[in-house]
Amino acid sequence: MAYLQALLDGLLIGGVYAVISIGLTLVYGVMGIVNFAQAEFLMIGMFVAWFAWAYLGLDPVVAAPLSFAAAFAIGWVVQGQLIGRVLKAPAVAQIFLTVGVLILIENSALMLFGSQFRSVTTPYQTMSLQLGPLFVSVPYLIAFVMSVLCGAVLWWFMGFSWFGRAMRATAQNPTAAQLMGIDTAFMYKMAFALGVGLTAFGGAVILPYTTVFPTVGGQFVVLMFTVVVLGGLGSVAGAVIGGLTVGVVQSMSTLFFPIQLQNLVLFVVFILVLAFRPQGLIGAAR
Amino acid sequence: MRRWIIFGLLIAVAAALPLFLDARGYWIRVLTLTLLFAAMGQAWNIVGGLANQISLGHAAFFGIGAYTSTLLLINFGLSPWIGLFAGAALASVAALVIALPTMRLQGHYFTLATLAFGEVMRVIANVWSSLTGGPVGISVPFMAPDPLMYSFRTTVPHAYIALLALLLVTAVFVWIDRGAMGYRLRAIKGNEAAAEVIGVNTMRVKLSAAVISGALMGALGTLYVQLALFFDPDTAFGLVPISVRVALIAIIGGVGTALGPLIGAAFIIPLEEFANDLLSSGAAGLSQIAYALVLIAVILWRPRGLVTLFDAVSSKVRKKP
Repeated sequence: MAYLQALLDGLLIGGVYAVISIGLTLVYGVMGIVNFAQAEFLMIGMFVAWFAWAYLGLDPVVAAPLSFAAAFAIGWVVQGQLIGRVLKAPAVAQIFLTVGVLILIENSALMLFGSQFRSVTTPYQTMSLQLGPLFVSVPYLIAFVMSVLCGAVLWWFMGFSWFGRAMRATAQNPTAAQLMGIDTAFMYKMAFALGVGLTAFGGAVILPYTTVFPTVGGQFVVLMFTVVVLGGLGSVAGAVIGGLTVGVVQSMSTLFFPIQLQNLVLFVVFILVLAFRPQGLIGAAR
Repeated sequence: MRRWIIFGLLIAVAAALPLFLDARGYWIRVLTLTLLFAAMGQAWNIVGGLANQISLGHAAFFGIGAYTSTLLLINFGLSPWIGLFAGAALASVAALVIALPTMRLQGHYFTLATLAFGEVMRVIANVWSSLTGGPVGISVPFMAPDPLMYSFRTTVPHAYIALLALLLVTAVFVWIDRGAMGYRLRAIKGNEAAAEVIGVNTMRVKLSAAVISGALMGALGTLYVQLALFFDPDTAFGLVPISVRVALIAIIGGVGTALGPLIGAAFIIPLEEFANDLLSSGAAGLSQIAYALVLIAVILWRPRGLVTLFDAVSSKVRKKP
């Protein structure tokens, strides 16, 4: 029964991992850039939600759209002013530019908010529903449902709106897309802002069961990369499967190993996947 | 040619400076750190510059070297001079272990794998506290000054050891760059499949480069902790303090050039110290913000590194042997 419980928890947490990682895979899929600063936008989302809770009395789940909007705005500027300039530069310049953005955001947060840990209190924080012999944690469930909703909206947006089609066209062939009258620079900004916005949204919905501090991104950075690489970098469907897998692996590993080794198991899985199936487990071609 | 004159000048300045600085003071530490990080940037450059494999996991080798020599000293009283070679040997084994599965990876994927490897080592060092002391960290025991035990009265010998290390690592870099291996690495960098077709054993060449780079990094880990005297898993295996910084030094200076890491370190390390000194009283994180802004500015303004500032005609003209 412990296994089933771990599986259930893993799936619920994994749903959130999927949403925060979709942002990363979206940026890569459209621009071919791996954003090492992506996890910092998770931190931004968490802080926005925390302040909304502390000063406006909003539940983090209700504040999630605010987190999305804040990260969207910052992402728009970062893409327009910085990343847009290195789209054709060698990988090393792209990697280190985003590493620079990572250090910049993390330390700006440290300077503005201090290094203390902050958490929220919500009425449902410790509640859980009983489902036969299993317990469903309410904050996990809410975060999962919000993530599914967010993912569904994105799926509709990418698949059925004009913007989504234009963005996919830009990803496939920027030159041809431009010839068809698509403003590709605008699409890149849109993709980046949307990607970091999604990650920030995920940050807000997990706040009820976690704490926020300026270096929280460091805990998620390898996790997010594991998710997207498992599913194949650039594949949105892959990120969903990758997210659920990582959630289950993480949750299951606590049954066999001490909790400190939770991330170690994840990193080893990550390196093995990179080594043997760098195109992702499901091998989706993008 | 011009670059070698500048290299010689910088080395001469570094060699003369200890004579003028306070032998136990702050500035000689900055000089020593600059030389050590220049050497590390150069070690990184072997893989990052010549093979174009951007590693963000070099802290793994650094930390292995640091822990090996320090633990041998604490537990067996073994001189750090011997520990240095033990650390380098272990680091080269680690480099082989991680390079075997990841060397085929290209671009971003290789970077991600090395990043994860560094983090794996950090987690292990934190959890395995019976060996490493865990998150509390570990101190190099105090000893009476004895050159054979790598213990000195002042910082001056540290500075000259660091200078010698930089010259040695640079010599290895130049030897690889100019030799057959350098041609093979450049062939792989240009077009891996084509290199394979003309008979370059790409796997073997890349592995050799990774092992040499890892071993040098491990040796430099010992030199660093003998100066710092204290470290913990988050600094020895740190992503930003070691892996990113070392790569950054090579990149800001000029990737794949012998002069680059020296320029990068001479720019970055004093800047960091200066920013810490000046800004840390203001607010936490401010010096790191300055650091990030400089990094972003250099990448946008001089993507091939500051070394190009010294090139008279064009940044593309690079003397080939």
